[in-house]
Amino acid sequence: MSFLTRANCLAKNVILSTFVRSISTTKHLQLKELHERKEGSTLIVEGVTVPSPHTELLIRAEKIKDLAPVEKTEHTCYMCALDLDVKHTDVLILSQFVRTDGCMLPRRITGLCRRQQKKVGKMVSMAQKAGLMINLTPSYCKKDPRQRYAYKKFNTYFDENTIFMKKIPKPVDKFKR
Amino acid sequence: MSAAKRVQQWATFARTWHIFDCKWQDPYLSANVIKKYLMGMHKPIYHPMNDCGDVVVCINSRDIALRGDDWRQRAYFHHTGYPGGASWTLAWEVHNKDPTMIIKKAVYRSMKGNLQRRHTMQRMLIYPGEEVPEDIMQNVTNQIRQLRPVPTRLDHIPEDEVKKYPKVMEYPEDYVLK
Repeated sequence: MSFLTRANCLAKNVILSTFVRSISTTKHLQLKELHERKEGSTLIVEGVTVPSPHTELLIRAEKIKDLAPVEKTEHTCYMCALDLDVKHTDVLILSQFVRTDGCMLPRRITGLCRRQQKKVGKMVSMAQKAGLMINLTPSYCKKDPRQRYAYKKFNTYFDENTIFMKKIPKPVDKFKR
Repeated sequence: MSAAKRVQQWATFARTWHIFDCKWQDPYLSANVIKKYLMGMHKPIYHPMNDCGDVVVCINSRDIALRGDDWRQRAYFHHTGYPGGASWTLAWEVHNKDPTMIIKKAVYRSMKGNLQRRHTMQRMLIYPGEEVPEDIMQNVTNQIRQLRPVPTRLDHIPEDEVKKYPKVMEYPEDYVLK
Protein backbone atom coordinates (compact mmCIF):
# COMPACT_ATOMS: atom_id res chain seq x y z
CA MET A 1 0.00 0.00 0.00
CA SER A 2 2.67 2.42 1.00
CA PHE A 3 4.60 1.52 -2.12
CA LEU A 4 1.58 2.38 -4.25
CA THR A 5 1.10 5.76 -2.65
CA ARG A 6 4.77 6.47 -3.12
CA ALA A 7 4.49 5.59 -6.77
CA ASN A 8 1.48 7.87 -7.01
CA CYS A 9 3.42 10.60 -5.34
CA LEU A 10 6.27 10.12 -7.74
CA ALA A 11 3.99 10.24 -10.71
CA LYS A 12 2.41 13.38 -9.32
CA ASN A 13 5.83 14.85 -8.82
CA VAL A 14 6.81 14.09 -12.37
CA ILE A 15 3.72 15.78 -13.73
CA LEU A 16 4.09 18.60 -11.26
CA SER A 17 7.74 19.11 -12.06
CA THR A 18 7.09 19.34 -15.81
CA PHE A 19 4.19 21.63 -15.09
CA VAL A 20 6.32 23.85 -12.92
CA ARG A 21 9.12 23.94 -15.45
CA SER A 22 6.86 25.25 -18.20
CA ILE A 23 6.45 28.46 -16.21
CA SER A 24 9.64 30.40 -16.48
CA THR A 25 10.46 33.36 -14.31
CA THR A 26 12.78 34.88 -16.92
CA LYS A 27 11.46 36.89 -19.85
CA HIS A 28 11.41 34.39 -22.70
CA LEU A 29 8.55 35.85 -24.70
CA GLN A 30 10.47 38.00 -27.15
CA LEU A 31 10.90 38.24 -30.90
CA LYS A 32 13.43 35.63 -31.87
CA GLU A 33 15.30 34.52 -34.90
CA LEU A 34 16.47 30.92 -35.35
CA HIS A 35 20.16 30.52 -36.10
CA GLU A 36 21.64 27.22 -37.18
CA ARG A 37 25.36 26.64 -37.04
CA LYS A 38 27.60 23.62 -37.04
CA GLU A 39 30.48 23.01 -34.67
CA GLY A 40 32.27 19.87 -35.70
CA SER A 41 29.61 17.18 -35.93
CA THR A 42 27.04 18.90 -33.69
CA LEU A 43 24.33 21.13 -35.11
CA ILE A 44 23.46 24.00 -32.82
CA VAL A 45 20.07 25.65 -33.23
CA GLU A 46 19.56 28.70 -31.09
CA GLY A 47 16.88 31.33 -30.82
CA VAL A 48 18.52 34.74 -30.77
CA THR A 49 16.52 37.66 -29.44
CA VAL A 50 16.31 40.37 -32.09
CA PRO A 51 14.64 43.79 -32.19
CA SER A 52 11.63 43.98 -34.51
CA PRO A 53 12.54 45.39 -37.94
CA HIS A 54 9.12 47.04 -38.19
CA THR A 55 8.92 49.05 -34.96
CA GLU A 56 10.62 52.27 -36.09
CA LEU A 57 8.76 52.53 -39.41
CA LEU A 58 5.38 51.49 -38.04
CA ILE A 59 2.37 53.51 -39.17
CA ARG A 60 -0.77 53.62 -37.10
CA ALA A 61 -3.98 55.56 -37.63
CA GLU A 62 -3.87 56.96 -34.09
CA LYS A 63 -0.66 58.81 -34.88
CA ILE A 64 -1.97 60.44 -38.07
CA LYS A 65 -3.85 63.62 -37.13
CA ASP A 66 -5.60 64.41 -40.44
CA LEU A 67 -7.15 61.00 -40.79
CA ALA A 68 -10.89 60.83 -40.13
CA PRO A 69 -11.51 58.39 -37.25
CA VAL A 70 -13.21 55.17 -38.26
CA GLU A 71 -16.15 54.33 -36.01
CA LYS A 72 -15.02 51.65 -33.62
CA THR A 73 -16.86 48.35 -33.85
CA GLU A 74 -15.63 45.01 -32.64
CA HIS A 75 -14.59 44.04 -36.18
CA THR A 76 -12.21 46.91 -36.88
CA CYS A 77 -8.46 46.55 -36.80
CA TYR A 78 -5.43 48.74 -37.56
CA MET A 79 -5.86 48.12 -41.29
CA CYS A 80 -9.52 49.22 -41.24
CA ALA A 81 -8.52 52.33 -39.28
CA LEU A 82 -5.82 53.25 -41.81
CA ASP A 83 -8.38 52.90 -44.64
CA LEU A 84 -5.75 52.25 -47.31
CA ASP A 85 -6.68 51.39 -50.87
CA VAL A 86 -4.33 48.44 -51.22
CA LYS A 87 -4.07 46.77 -54.60
CA HIS A 88 -2.52 43.39 -55.36
CA THR A 89 0.34 45.20 -57.09
CA ASP A 90 1.37 46.94 -53.84
CA VAL A 91 3.98 44.32 -53.04
CA LEU A 92 5.80 46.54 -50.53
CA ILE A 93 2.76 46.38 -48.23
CA LEU A 94 1.71 42.80 -48.95
CA SER A 95 5.21 41.41 -48.38
CA GLN A 96 4.93 42.44 -44.70
CA PHE A 97 2.18 39.87 -44.17
CA VAL A 98 4.03 36.83 -45.52
CA ARG A 99 6.73 34.43 -44.38
CA THR A 100 9.96 34.06 -46.31
CA ASP A 101 8.37 31.23 -48.29
CA GLY A 102 5.55 33.53 -49.41
CA CYS A 103 2.91 32.00 -47.18
CA MET A 104 0.30 34.30 -45.60
CA LEU A 105 0.74 34.65 -41.84
CA PRO A 106 -2.20 33.50 -39.67
CA ARG A 107 -4.54 35.94 -37.99
CA ARG A 108 -3.09 35.46 -34.51
CA ILE A 109 0.17 36.90 -35.83
CA THR A 110 -1.04 39.57 -38.24
CA GLY A 111 -3.65 40.85 -35.77
CA LEU A 112 -6.10 41.75 -38.53
CA CYS A 113 -9.87 41.47 -38.36
CA ARG A 114 -11.54 38.60 -40.20
CA ARG A 115 -12.50 40.63 -43.24
CA GLN A 116 -9.09 42.27 -43.64
CA GLN A 117 -7.30 38.94 -43.13
CA LYS A 118 -9.35 37.44 -45.96
CA LYS A 119 -8.78 40.47 -48.18
CA VAL A 120 -5.03 40.67 -47.59
CA GLY A 121 -4.72 36.88 -47.94
CA LYS A 122 -6.46 36.93 -51.29
CA MET A 123 -4.36 39.83 -52.49
CA VAL A 124 -1.19 38.01 -51.44
CA SER A 125 -2.22 35.02 -53.53
CA MET A 126 -3.09 37.36 -56.42
CA ALA A 127 0.38 38.93 -56.22
CA GLN A 128 1.95 35.47 -56.08
CA LYS A 129 -0.03 34.27 -59.10
CA ALA A 130 0.96 37.40 -61.00
CA GLY A 131 4.59 36.58 -60.11
CA LEU A 132 5.17 39.91 -58.37
CA MET A 133 6.68 38.40 -55.19
CA ILE A 134 8.75 35.72 -56.86
CA ASN A 135 11.61 36.15 -54.39
CA LEU A 136 9.27 35.19 -51.52
CA THR A 137 8.60 31.63 -52.65
CA PRO A 138 9.59 28.15 -51.46
CA SER A 139 13.19 27.10 -52.07
CA TYR A 140 12.28 24.70 -54.90
CA CYS A 141 10.86 27.57 -56.98
CA LYS A 142 12.90 28.60 -60.01
CA LYS A 143 12.43 32.29 -59.08
CA ASP A 144 11.35 33.28 -62.57
CA PRO A 145 7.65 33.71 -63.48
CA ARG A 146 8.37 32.87 -67.13
CA GLN A 147 9.61 29.41 -66.26
CA ARG A 148 6.34 28.37 -64.67
CA TYR A 149 4.16 25.64 -66.13
CA ALA A 150 1.74 26.12 -69.06
CA TYR A 151 -0.73 29.00 -68.58
CA LYS A 152 1.03 30.17 -65.42
CA LYS A 153 4.02 31.58 -67.31
CA PHE A 154 2.04 34.41 -68.90
CA ASN A 155 1.23 37.74 -67.26
CA THR A 156 -1.97 37.87 -65.29
CA TYR A 157 -3.65 40.75 -63.53
CA PHE A 158 -6.54 40.69 -61.09
CA ASP A 159 -9.51 42.82 -60.15
CA GLU A 160 -9.76 43.50 -56.39
CA ASN A 161 -13.55 43.89 -56.66
CA THR A 162 -13.80 40.13 -57.15
CA ILE A 163 -12.46 39.39 -53.65
CA PHE A 164 -15.79 39.60 -51.83
CA MET A 165 -17.90 38.66 -54.83
CA LYS A 166 -19.83 35.44 -54.32
CA LYS A 167 -19.89 34.66 -58.03
CA ILE A 168 -18.18 36.51 -60.87
CA PRO A 169 -20.95 37.48 -63.30
CA LYS A 170 -20.34 36.49 -66.90
CA PRO A 171 -21.13 38.93 -69.73
CA VAL A 172 -24.19 36.85 -70.70
CA ASP A 173 -25.68 37.15 -67.22
CA LYS A 174 -26.99 40.66 -67.76
CA PHE A 175 -29.44 39.40 -70.36
CA LYS A 176 -31.01 36.94 -67.95
CA ARG A 177 -34.32 37.87 -66.39
CA MET B 1 -5.29 78.21 -101.68
CA SER B 2 -2.68 79.80 -99.48
CA ALA B 3 0.45 77.90 -98.46
CA ALA B 4 -0.68 77.67 -94.84
CA LYS B 5 -4.04 76.22 -95.82
CA ARG B 6 -2.33 73.73 -98.12
CA VAL B 7 -0.11 72.49 -95.33
CA GLN B 8 -3.12 72.22 -93.05
CA GLN B 9 -4.82 70.12 -95.72
CA TRP B 10 -1.80 67.78 -95.91
CA ALA B 11 -1.56 67.53 -92.15
CA THR B 12 -5.25 66.71 -91.86
CA PHE B 13 -5.24 63.85 -94.31
CA ALA B 14 -1.75 62.48 -93.61
CA ARG B 15 -1.58 59.18 -91.73
CA THR B 16 -0.04 59.53 -88.27
CA TRP B 17 1.89 56.59 -86.84
CA HIS B 18 1.17 55.69 -83.22
CA ILE B 19 3.02 53.25 -80.99
CA PHE B 20 1.39 51.22 -78.22
CA ASP B 21 3.31 49.26 -75.62
CA CYS B 22 1.27 46.13 -74.76
CA LYS B 23 3.33 45.25 -71.68
CA TRP B 24 0.94 44.17 -68.86
CA GLN B 25 -2.06 45.50 -70.82
CA ASP B 26 -5.35 43.69 -71.21
CA PRO B 27 -5.73 43.06 -74.98
CA TYR B 28 -9.53 43.16 -74.86
CA LEU B 29 -9.63 46.55 -73.11
CA SER B 30 -6.80 48.09 -75.11
CA ALA B 31 -8.45 46.90 -78.34
CA ASN B 32 -11.18 49.51 -77.84
CA VAL B 33 -8.52 52.22 -77.64
CA ILE B 34 -6.40 50.95 -80.54
CA LYS B 35 -9.53 50.63 -82.68
CA LYS B 36 -10.26 54.35 -82.39
CA TYR B 37 -6.83 55.29 -83.68
CA LEU B 38 -6.95 52.70 -86.47
CA MET B 39 -10.31 53.93 -87.75
CA GLY B 40 -9.53 57.61 -87.17
CA MET B 41 -12.37 58.05 -84.69
CA HIS B 42 -10.21 60.40 -82.61
CA LYS B 43 -10.28 62.97 -85.43
CA PRO B 44 -12.97 65.64 -85.84
CA ILE B 45 -13.19 64.88 -89.58
CA TYR B 46 -14.15 61.24 -88.93
CA HIS B 47 -16.79 59.68 -91.13
CA PRO B 48 -17.20 55.97 -91.96
CA MET B 49 -16.72 56.70 -95.66
CA ASN B 50 -13.70 58.92 -94.96
CA ASP B 51 -10.35 57.14 -95.18
CA CYS B 52 -8.73 58.96 -92.26
CA GLY B 53 -7.45 56.05 -90.14
CA ASP B 54 -3.96 56.03 -88.65
CA VAL B 55 -1.29 53.36 -88.30
CA VAL B 56 -0.74 51.73 -84.90
CA VAL B 57 2.44 49.84 -84.07
CA CYS B 58 1.98 47.45 -81.12
CA ILE B 59 5.13 46.31 -79.37
CA ASN B 60 5.72 43.76 -76.58
CA SER B 61 2.64 41.77 -77.52
CA ARG B 62 4.25 38.76 -75.80
CA ASP B 63 3.84 40.49 -72.44
CA ILE B 64 0.10 41.12 -72.54
CA ALA B 65 -1.79 40.37 -69.32
CA LEU B 66 -5.15 38.62 -69.11
CA ARG B 67 -7.48 39.08 -66.18
CA GLY B 68 -7.91 36.41 -63.52
CA ASP B 69 -7.97 32.87 -64.91
CA ASP B 70 -8.64 33.98 -68.49
CA TRP B 71 -5.54 32.27 -69.83
CA ARG B 72 -7.18 28.88 -69.31
CA GLN B 73 -10.83 29.96 -69.50
CA ARG B 74 -10.89 31.71 -72.85
CA ALA B 75 -11.15 29.43 -75.86
CA TYR B 76 -10.60 30.39 -79.49
CA PHE B 77 -12.89 28.60 -81.92
CA HIS B 78 -11.91 27.41 -85.36
CA HIS B 79 -13.77 25.25 -87.85
CA THR B 80 -12.10 23.70 -90.86
CA GLY B 81 -15.40 23.37 -92.72
CA TYR B 82 -15.33 19.58 -92.71
CA PRO B 83 -17.59 17.50 -90.43
CA GLY B 84 -15.93 17.16 -87.05
CA GLY B 85 -13.60 19.97 -87.98
CA ALA B 86 -14.37 22.15 -84.97
CA SER B 87 -11.59 22.89 -82.55
CA TRP B 88 -11.29 25.00 -79.41
CA THR B 89 -7.88 26.31 -78.44
CA LEU B 90 -7.27 27.88 -75.05
CA ALA B 91 -5.86 31.38 -74.88
CA TRP B 92 -2.52 30.27 -73.41
CA GLU B 93 -2.10 27.68 -76.17
CA VAL B 94 -2.80 30.31 -78.81
CA HIS B 95 -0.30 32.64 -77.16
CA ASN B 96 2.30 29.87 -77.03
CA LYS B 97 1.90 29.34 -80.75
CA ASP B 98 1.78 32.95 -81.84
CA PRO B 99 2.30 35.77 -79.33
CA THR B 100 0.73 38.34 -81.68
CA MET B 101 -2.53 36.55 -82.35
CA ILE B 102 -4.55 37.42 -79.23
CA ILE B 103 -4.14 41.19 -79.54
CA LYS B 104 -4.79 40.96 -83.29
CA LYS B 105 -8.01 39.01 -82.82
CA ALA B 106 -9.11 41.31 -80.00
CA VAL B 107 -8.79 44.41 -82.19
CA TYR B 108 -10.40 42.60 -85.12
CA ARG B 109 -13.37 41.57 -82.99
CA SER B 110 -13.78 45.05 -81.48
CA MET B 111 -14.55 46.48 -84.92
CA LYS B 112 -17.79 46.15 -86.81
CA GLY B 113 -17.75 43.39 -89.42
CA ASN B 114 -17.87 45.33 -92.67
CA LEU B 115 -15.78 45.42 -95.84
CA GLN B 116 -13.52 48.06 -94.36
CA ARG B 117 -12.42 45.94 -91.40
CA ARG B 118 -9.72 43.89 -93.14
CA HIS B 119 -8.21 47.00 -94.72
CA THR B 120 -8.20 48.74 -91.36
CA MET B 121 -6.42 45.74 -89.84
CA GLN B 122 -3.68 46.10 -92.47
CA ARG B 123 -2.73 49.36 -90.78
CA MET B 124 -1.98 47.59 -87.50
CA LEU B 125 1.55 46.27 -87.02
CA ILE B 126 2.27 43.92 -84.12
CA TYR B 127 5.67 42.90 -82.79
CA PRO B 128 6.10 40.30 -80.01
CA GLY B 129 9.17 42.01 -78.56
CA GLU B 130 10.68 45.47 -78.43
CA GLU B 131 12.56 45.13 -81.72
CA VAL B 132 10.83 47.11 -84.44
CA PRO B 133 12.39 47.56 -87.91
CA GLU B 134 14.12 50.91 -88.25
CA ASP B 135 12.10 52.06 -91.29
CA ILE B 136 8.87 51.61 -89.32
CA MET B 137 10.17 53.15 -86.13
CA GLN B 138 11.21 56.38 -87.88
CA ASN B 139 7.60 57.05 -88.95
CA VAL B 140 6.26 56.89 -85.40
CA THR B 141 5.32 60.30 -84.01
CA ASN B 142 2.91 59.55 -81.19
CA GLN B 143 2.56 57.15 -78.28
CA ILE B 144 -0.81 55.86 -77.08
CA ARG B 145 -1.09 55.96 -73.30
CA GLN B 146 -1.21 52.60 -71.51
CA LEU B 147 -4.44 51.69 -69.74
CA ARG B 148 -2.86 50.00 -66.72
CA PRO B 149 0.37 50.88 -64.95
CA VAL B 150 3.03 48.19 -65.34
CA PRO B 151 3.43 46.55 -61.90
CA THR B 152 6.84 46.38 -60.25
CA ARG B 153 8.18 43.07 -59.02
CA LEU B 154 9.40 42.95 -55.44
CA ASP B 155 12.80 41.56 -56.43
CA HIS B 156 13.30 44.49 -58.84
CA ILE B 157 12.95 47.02 -56.01
CA PRO B 158 16.27 47.75 -54.26
CA GLU B 159 16.58 45.95 -50.93
CA ASP B 160 17.19 49.03 -48.79
CA GLU B 161 14.09 50.64 -50.27
CA VAL B 162 12.04 47.64 -49.20
CA LYS B 163 13.51 47.86 -45.69
CA LYS B 164 12.90 51.62 -45.39
CA TYR B 165 9.32 51.43 -46.66
CA PRO B 166 6.76 52.33 -43.93
CA LYS B 167 5.43 49.24 -42.17
CA VAL B 168 1.83 48.43 -41.31
CA MET B 169 2.19 45.04 -39.62
CA GLU B 170 4.04 44.49 -36.34
CA TYR B 171 5.11 41.04 -35.20
CA PRO B 172 3.71 39.84 -31.86
CA GLU B 173 6.19 39.79 -28.98
CA ASP B 174 6.72 36.04 -28.91
CA TYR B 175 7.04 35.47 -32.66
CA VAL B 176 9.92 33.46 -34.09
CA LEU B 177 11.10 34.97 -37.37
CA LYS B 178 11.37 32.56 -40.25
